Amino acid sequence: MRNAPLRCIEFVAILALTFGSILTVESTPASEPEGTAADALANPVVSLESVLQSHCVKCHASGEDPAGDVALSEVNAGNVADDLDRLQSLIDVLDLEEMPPEDEPALPTEMRQELLAELQARLRAAVAVSNQAPHTPIRRMNRFQYNNAVVDLFDLKCIVFTLPERMLREHRGYFQPASGKMPDEVYAGSRPLGKSQMIESRLAGVAAFPQDLRAEHGYDNQADHLSLSPLLMESFLKLGQSITESPDFNSKNVGMWESFFVAPQPEADLELEVRKRLSSFLTRAFRRPVGDAQLDRYCEFVQRKLARGTDFPTAMKAVAAAAISSPRFLYLYDTSDEKQSVSQVDDYELASRLSFFLWGSLPDQALLDLAAEGRLHQRDVLTEQFERMIRDRKLKRFCDSFPSQWLQLERIISSVPNREHFPQFYFLKYRDSMHMMLEPLLLFETVLIENQPITQLIDSDFTYRSDLLENAYGELAVDPKRNGGGVQAIRFRRLPIQDRRTGGVITNAAVMTMTSGPERTQPITRGAWLASVVFNNPPEPPPADVPALGEKPAEGEEHLTLRERLAMHRKRSDCKGCHEQIDPLGFALENFNPVGGWRDEYENGRKVDMAGTLLRKHPFENVVEFKDALLAEKDRFTEALAGHLLTFALARPLSASDRLTLDEIAATVATDEYRIHTLLRQIVLSEPFQTKSFPQVASNPGP
Amino acid sequence: MIRTNRRCFLRGLGGASLSLPWMPSIAMAGKADSVPMRMAHFYVPIGVVRRGFFPGESDDVIPKGNLGNVMKSLGKQNPFASDDPLDRLTPTLEPLEPFKHKVNLITGMDRTFQQGTDVHAQCASCYLSSAVPYTVEGTAWPLDRTLDHLVADHIGTETPFATLEFSCNSHRDNKESIYFDNISWYGTGHLAPSIRDPRKMYHRLFSTQEIDRYRDVTDLVLEDARDLKMHLGYEDRHKFAEYFDSIRAIEIQMDRLEKMKSQLSRVRLDEPPEAYLPRGEYIRLMGDLMVVALQTGLTNVATFMVGPERWDTPFKFESLFDQPRSHHQMSHNQTKMIDDLLKVDRFHMEQYVYLLEKMDAIEQADGSTLLDNTLFTYGSGLGDGSTHQYNDLPIVVGGGGKRVASGRHINMPEGTPLANLWLTQARLLGVPMPRFADSNGMIDALMAERI
Repeated sequence: MRNAPLRCIEFVAILALTFGSILTVESTPASEPEGTAADALANPVVSLESVLQSHCVKCHASGEDPAGDVALSEVNAGNVADDLDRLQSLIDVLDLEEMPPEDEPALPTEMRQELLAELQARLRAAVAVSNQAPHTPIRRMNRFQYNNAVVDLFDLKCIVFTLPERMLREHRGYFQPASGKMPDEVYAGSRPLGKSQMIESRLAGVAAFPQDLRAEHGYDNQADHLSLSPLLMESFLKLGQSITESPDFNSKNVGMWESFFVAPQPEADLELEVRKRLSSFLTRAFRRPVGDAQLDRYCEFVQRKLARGTDFPTAMKAVAAAAISSPRFLYLYDTSDEKQSVSQVDDYELASRLSFFLWGSLPDQALLDLAAEGRLHQRDVLTEQFERMIRDRKLKRFCDSFPSQWLQLERIISSVPNREHFPQFYFLKYRDSMHMMLEPLLLFETVLIENQPITQLIDSDFTYRSDLLENAYGELAVDPKRNGGGVQAIRFRRLPIQDRRTGGVITNAAVMTMTSGPERTQPITRGAWLASVVFNNPPEPPPADVPALGEKPAEGEEHLTLRERLAMHRKRSDCKGCHEQIDPLGFALENFNPVGGWRDEYENGRKVDMAGTLLRKHPFENVVEFKDALLAEKDRFTEALAGHLLTFALARPLSASDRLTLDEIAATVATDEYRIHTLLRQIVLSEPFQTKSFPQVASNPGP
Repeated sequence: MIRTNRRCFLRGLGGASLSLPWMPSIAMAGKADSVPMRMAHFYVPIGVVRRGFFPGESDDVIPKGNLGNVMKSLGKQNPFASDDPLDRLTPTLEPLEPFKHKVNLITGMDRTFQQGTDVHAQCASCYLSSAVPYTVEGTAWPLDRTLDHLVADHIGTETPFATLEFSCNSHRDNKESIYFDNISWYGTGHLAPSIRDPRKMYHRLFSTQEIDRYRDVTDLVLEDARDLKMHLGYEDRHKFAEYFDSIRAIEIQMDRLEKMKSQLSRVRLDEPPEAYLPRGEYIRLMGDLMVVALQTGLTNVATFMVGPERWDTPFKFESLFDQPRSHHQMSHNQTKMIDDLLKVDRFHMEQYVYLLEKMDAIEQADGSTLLDNTLFTYGSGLGDGSTHQYNDLPIVVGGGGKRVASGRHINMPEGTPLANLWLTQARLLGVPMPRFADSNGMIDALMAERI
């Protein structure tokens, strides 16, 4: 979820990212504002206008160039809810104590709280009145979903094509969500960097279409990224035929071979039999019942083939190929009856939402049956289905798409630390990142399979590491005795973590490496990553005017710490205020070097200075205290992760109205020890998940 | 008449046998008296080093680091219109020397950035749409149907492919969104995806489909589509038009490829290798495929991205550097890396010139060359990768033959929208367009005679 830019933003060049302040470096006691605060406190009712006038409009005045392009001089209680996104941003900057900036008079705490409560109430009221949930546009399946859907539709025993986007390759079947337990020893491989690419059994002669790109601050299932072109349509037509005509598309690999492709007994009524088979097949392919006219067309298609002398299996292959080129298969959409702008999704749509969220694929027969009975939306039925789905092995698809995108782990693929400075990062023909990238993913899968609290993702008491990874961790290792550099099926052992500097998805070697440059760490990049991933408050696009900080210290700067160099770098007074807010999140992780190893000192002998304060509230002096500070804000993290999940589940960016849902989800999750199943269940049970919305059109209903 | 000195240009890939024979009959596809006009765009990401590219700026200050959204030239620009012979070429333009008489340097072209996205996100994605900012609803991008498709609606109606999209983005990491990787759009939110893999492009162009294989399938699924459309909301129906459009485009494409079959079989072009190609060879191979597509009449309109916007991941520029380098990061370190960045700029210009050479070596039925009948434009959506300016863009318009003034350095007055150039190109290509996006006039100096 994006905020409108309400803050001063600065930006350190080479890092190419800025982010809104989550933290402050030091909690400098702000000077008491003269007059205003006392006046306001004397007045029990906080007036929005007076606070804005005394604390905000100095920088955010309408006119030539308001700070952050946000003008607040005309905003008052009457019109503050006219722009919901702006209202949400006001709430965010107040809540996160981003504004006013540190060198401006502070808002007294009570006044801030009162104002916040007032604004939140107004947001709630405005959302209730507008009754306008964002619409999720029609979109084609992405490559990942297409592959899964084809596999499930035909019950294939192999994959359709290799998908490097699935980063964590499972070996020897460790992923057993029904068991509720991750084995202590698992064998896994890295797809993008490992050696396991081509050994999977797949359909020969089938060429994939290109991987779909990921929306910025979103996921690869977002509608604006999934349009169709002649080029892709041609791919889909070719795919349909190359899949069904592949030499591997046979009784051995196709689970539904017998029931669909094999010719019926000679005494059977061929026409009736074809109709029966197609009816069930098309219902699954199209995720809803097929109408008679439609069924007629498909039956005639087969009959024409048969009449021309085509043998039965070939005719059925042809119709199957056609079905998976149909928009009813390729597209995800909500149906509209044009009468209502907001309504409950029907049971078939709910079945598809569930299955594409948790399985990245089509609903199975059980879901379709419940939809046919019209019972799926019943809360107990829905909950029961959720519990079933989360224990199905198809949950691996969720683990193959959500966590790697949430953690932005694809960035590790292009991390190349300087070979001379970090020779230990390279082994054989490979990079340690091949092992590193699997650690946070295995942690996520374990938390999910074992229904652990999501706080484990911040600060886990166990981890999975290969022997090579253990050795790479140096003093952060748990049990580094053994050596081994597997590249294909790598053994990962579950290790208890006592040293809280390590553990969780933040301080692991993969994230520390991918947020560093080849030579040095990049605190701003790390901070931006934390802001996006942990707080779902991604940085604004970089708009500022600050010179770059080189990878290597400039002459005369060799003796400085990175923080001092960055400070030198932003001496200009117009930069300083904002950098106070930007730098600290990333600096909190400065003890981790560019390949994730521990350091107390920089190469020049200076001590690492990582101290700071989270949200102007929680001071920390070391990374364990930093984790404590994050855990103290675990409700914020819960809401952030809920936001990421809801974005993924609905395949669209969130709006101000969704924020209220996130509040509710986070509150419920907190009452159940922050368990991840509860979080996912609340997403499924939430209003946005079960609602469809269509923008109202004033007149002409269109073509 | 085949001129042997030209044939040597037809060798690709360091002498490999990539032969594009002179094929007037193919190029004409039966219309010997009128040579079709084509349009191609060569997009350079992340701007250029201004000192090396623009005449008169060689002593301007080097931008220090990343200047965020400074969005203006650091040096002084000539705010007035001027039209001078293109005589002395700046270092980055130097490779154009043999084509000075067939190109125009155009300076002073501006675009407007719409607040609300990353500053790189609109460079390429909106380069060919230039929509008036804040007019396109429901998107943070001023993004509309792009020039290539608008032009193809007129000059691409007879070719199998209305347009073709080429990209030399060989990155394997999924780092950036679609807005950093594409310049061609059918419309707002409707991407015309590019092909990055030369083998895929080769097969798209030369492996003719048996048309009947798909005909009965498309008939069937189109019925489904009509059916489905009835159940969609208003906005979704609009988006879903992409399905009908795509099927229709494929049917037309298959029909026309079928008709060209025998002609295409005469193209002697080896299938591109599966092996990794050094960056320069890869770009030139993609370029060869674009030229052959234009030459044979497979399309009359093409876009060519020589690299993606931003995308920090380093490329191996084998002929330039020992280590992989990130173009984007270099652009933010001009004080330190200006010489290397200049090499990249020159490298891209050399690839453009390579394609100019190829096109100019292909003779048409009337004795002119393919280049003379193609408006082939080099350009970037940024005037400088450090200042992120959307103004004073680097633009070279090549080809166009007699319709176009040539060998000029045309400077447009301050504030001239880039859309004026796109409008001028559309008119030169015979498209009766009263205005294009935020255009407010034409670039008369570019036209041999006023249209």
